[in-house]
Amino acid sequence: MPRLLLFYRLMVRPLLQEPVRAALTVFAVALGVAVVLAIDLAGAAATGSFRSSMEALAGDNDLEVTASGGVPEDVVGTLVSLPYSIRISPRMENYAVIVDSKKSLPLIGLDFVGEGESFAQLDSASGAAPRVQENPQGPLEHFGDNDSIWLGTSLGYNVGAHIQLLINDQVREYTVRGVYPDSNGAESAIVMDIAAAQHALARYGRVDRILLKVPNAPGLNEWQQRLRGALPAGVEIHPQGTGTNENRKMLAAFRWNLQLLSYVSLVVGAFLIYNTISVSVVRRRPEIGIVRALGASRSAILFAFVGEAGCFGLAGALVGLPLGHFMATGAVKLMSATVESLYVSSQPGAIELSFTSALLALAIGVGIAVASAYSPAREAALVSPVEAMGRGRREYDVNIEKGRDLWLALALGLAAVAASRAPAIRGKPLFGYLAAILLVVASASAIPAFVHAITMFSSKLLGKLFGVEAMLASRSLAGSLRRTSVLVSALSTAIAMMTAVGIMVGSFRETVAVWMEDRLPADLYLRPGSSAAADRHPTISPGLAETIEKLPGVAAVERLRAYEIFYQEMPATLVSVDLDVLRTEPNSEYFSGRPREQVLAELRDSDAVVVSEPFTYKHGVKTGDSITLSLGEKQVTFRIADVYYDYSSERGSVLMDRKTMLRYLPDPAPSNLAIYVAPEAKLETVRAEIEQATAGHRVLLFSNRDIRAEAIRIFDRTFAITYALEAVAVIVAVMGIAGALLALVIDRRRELGLLRFLGGATGQIRKLILVEAGLLGLLANVAGLALGFALSLVLIYVINKQSFGWTIRFHWPVEILVAALTMVYAATVLAGLYPAEVAVRLNSLEVVHEE
Amino acid sequence: MLILSLQNVSKDYLSDGQRIPALSNLSLDVKRGEFVALVGRSGCGKSTLLNLAGAMDFPTAGQVLVDGVSTSSLEDAGLTRLRREKVGFIFQSFQLLHTLTVFENVELPLLLAGKPNAREAARERLAWVELDDLGHRYPHQLSGGQMQRVAIARALIHSPSILLADEPTGNLDTTTGNVILELLRRLTRQQNTATIMATHSVEAAALADMVVQLRDGKIEGITRR
Ligand SMILES: Nc1ncnc2c1ncn2[C@@H]1O[C@H](COP(=O)(O)OP(=O)(O)OP(=O)(O)O)[C@@H](O)[C@H]1O
Ligand SMILES: [Mg+2]
Repeated sequence: MPRLLLFYRLMVRPLLQEPVRAALTVFAVALGVAVVLAIDLAGAAATGSFRSSMEALAGDNDLEVTASGGVPEDVVGTLVSLPYSIRISPRMENYAVIVDSKKSLPLIGLDFVGEGESFAQLDSASGAAPRVQENPQGPLEHFGDNDSIWLGTSLGYNVGAHIQLLINDQVREYTVRGVYPDSNGAESAIVMDIAAAQHALARYGRVDRILLKVPNAPGLNEWQQRLRGALPAGVEIHPQGTGTNENRKMLAAFRWNLQLLSYVSLVVGAFLIYNTISVSVVRRRPEIGIVRALGASRSAILFAFVGEAGCFGLAGALVGLPLGHFMATGAVKLMSATVESLYVSSQPGAIELSFTSALLALAIGVGIAVASAYSPAREAALVSPVEAMGRGRREYDVNIEKGRDLWLALALGLAAVAASRAPAIRGKPLFGYLAAILLVVASASAIPAFVHAITMFSSKLLGKLFGVEAMLASRSLAGSLRRTSVLVSALSTAIAMMTAVGIMVGSFRETVAVWMEDRLPADLYLRPGSSAAADRHPTISPGLAETIEKLPGVAAVERLRAYEIFYQEMPATLVSVDLDVLRTEPNSEYFSGRPREQVLAELRDSDAVVVSEPFTYKHGVKTGDSITLSLGEKQVTFRIADVYYDYSSERGSVLMDRKTMLRYLPDPAPSNLAIYVAPEAKLETVRAEIEQATAGHRVLLFSNRDIRAEAIRIFDRTFAITYALEAVAVIVAVMGIAGALLALVIDRRRELGLLRFLGGATGQIRKLILVEAGLLGLLANVAGLALGFALSLVLIYVINKQSFGWTIRFHWPVEILVAALTMVYAATVLAGLYPAEVAVRLNSLEVVHEE
Repeated sequence: MLILSLQNVSKDYLSDGQRIPALSNLSLDVKRGEFVALVGRSGCGKSTLLNLAGAMDFPTAGQVLVDGVSTSSLEDAGLTRLRREKVGFIFQSFQLLHTLTVFENVELPLLLAGKPNAREAARERLAWVELDDLGHRYPHQLSGGQMQRVAIARALIHSPSILLADEPTGNLDTTTGNVILELLRRLTRQQNTATIMATHSVEAAALADMVVQLRDGKIEGITRR
């Protein structure tokens, strides 16, 4: 207890006397903790507990039978005829939009007759699968009707209600025949008979998936082997949810990258804690001496300062908890939108601040504070009592070895270069991250020498340019080199991260924009009205393309078809293009640099494909290799004719001739149409014609410009969260600057008061502090820009390439950078306003005679 | 020529709502070229008087006239101008800026006032205090006596008419202190300033033209020689 009392008197009370500064430090930690927590919570909600919408409704099964483009229906017959007691549930799985509410929901076609029997047979009616047969109304009599659906109760429709559904490009009328309980976290879905679903989707003869429940003995592996033997070559059998696991892995990588970014704020916060405790140690040097002379042990001093930091950490984490929870609600929307457009259809879960995440946040807050305070605290502990009481505080700043640190920086920089050349480890760019960390540390080591050189040089120049206040300001920064260096390091790290991500995203955006020029040559694009996602490719009614083709102003219509497939158990997209609609583009979009016609000519009438760049990294293949795809009931080996740049999705894509695809997957419905307007026709007229011709269908028609704008919009949304993370890091740093300037004012109050005695005006005192803030900002901007450039190279050429497989061309996003840096600079100067006011208000009589 | 005039000056401090009288109804006139010593027990009000004379603080009652102008009537800008033109301060603990060289410390008041030719003036003042060869050193490279001489040079840089020194020898040994006192006296004559020095030392008082004896915020006696 007496120890605690002492801790309170000697450590806590002084903090309370500077509430603004203490609050700034606490809030900086709080923001750091909040960001990490927010990304963790939002990530968990958007991806962590990921079960694809379909999987959530799959119920309790053991194995699943799938095939690219659908499993032929006769496979069901094959399975049924086997002499095993297996529950067989074939299903159609797609998505539909409720027209009234615009809600997009999984659409599931179930084999009511078969399932009913199976349930009875195996007596295992539990699980999350919709159990429509338990409905008291007993509406199964309607199962044969093509307009019957069953809905989750949470959707709020009553039995007998009529409801319009948008499926692919058509709106159809349905009658609700029953509802099933879905309140217990199970996902809502639209359920219909499998035949009705096939009818609605215009896909006959194939089902999307067959779920199997097998007896416990023998093992699952054994069952998988046995059943595989009975299936056609292209049809695959896996434990249920294999796709989910793969998706989960992919999402984990997405989350991990965001999490790393979220730690930047924490790193900046760590610099600031380090600074706060250093200031505290320097200030209290004489006090430490006295307390040591009065019998305090070294470890007591160490604990006191570490404890001080711990208090900041704890308070920060406590504020950060609710803040993080709040921020997560914003982040989850952005994240789930990105997940949907880049990865897989899913519904974000609820944000849950679990006990463990709360504990983790506390641990992070306190841990980072204690860790960053350790070095100054140890320094305090090593202070000899005589020395501390005798000497002033000035000495503290002198013992910093600029020269040695510069060599260290050089060595670290070289190590970073070496690390950036190392390959990825299990798909993760671990060495890339190492290179980034090494660069940050290298920059922090070089900063004292940099600050010293610049401030010494600038004091003369600034004095001439901006008067004596500027000279005093740069001298004061140079005079407390260590403190200045830490501040510049903190702010420049934040700026560097912002710059690096800015350059990376800007380069990426530019690359995508240029790439779209080539990829989107058509004048108009048409796609079904129901929502698409990375793994969802709704189709356009057959015949529509032909109708449009015949319109007078239309020169050509290219039919594109996409399927969600699995290659080497990883999700990928299979795309077909119309080779008959050939067009020329200025730039090659292929690794070989050959023009498009030449590459695509190789695909004609042959089992050859081109694959996207991410595909090659994911599966370790290159031009000339062969890949075997399961298509329908066959397994087909394709030669890779070339590799194309693709920035539309991180999942790999395989592209083939439409004719080749139709040979294996005969469904002619296209997913998208690219429409070329005849040279003499007017775009708007043709557009109107097409709109008229497609009146009975829900389709979306985009002009070339629209579709590019849409792509850029999705792009920007994807990176919005990244920007937000960078912004928070910068805010933390700027708050740190404000706090540090406040400390500076308080520590230098004697000097500031003296200036008044020597004829300094209040305006001059204010200017002095603002110039100091401005100089700090300038130093940090310069150092941050340099470091940011180096980091952007690592991001673009190492980290991004290794984790996503995208070749990004370097591009300086000049306007954004200039705007961002100006804003940061302005913020830094603004951060000096309050400290400047404090400096002006000082009572010079008191502070000068204090001593 | 009368440069400083305290007329029925009282100064009360407020501390925790309590009035602490530091000076009561005190009057004093000082002319240019006079070297005045303020003596008296600790807490008798010496520093308070100096602060009022330098317009760093203001009387509760009565008025302080610097060159005929009442300090209480001036706004912040006017006070700053007054300090820039008329008053120089010397402190017990020297109060040099440790990030600046000797030259830069001495120039500082002129630079703050935006006056030209600061370096030349600084060189001249340093010659007065016989430190012309140490201009490029930093304060921590000087002895205490040297530091106080730098402070004196700084206080004189703008040729003030009033020089206020609060125990200028308090942190120095007797010999060094005497050198400083001699210097102050000489410069007072040379520059025709009114120098007012608070001191505890008998030797110091002995050098002054006028010794003002304070007791509990009142003048107990004035000795001229
Ligand atoms: N800021 C203040 N608040 C309250 N009381 C003060 C303040 N400054 C001085 N005093 C009081 O005013 C009186 C005069 O103080 P002053 O500093 O002028 O004495 P001094 O003669 O300079 O003493 P010393 O020789 O010890 O320097 C003292 O009683 C002191 O306690
Ligand atoms: Mg005094």
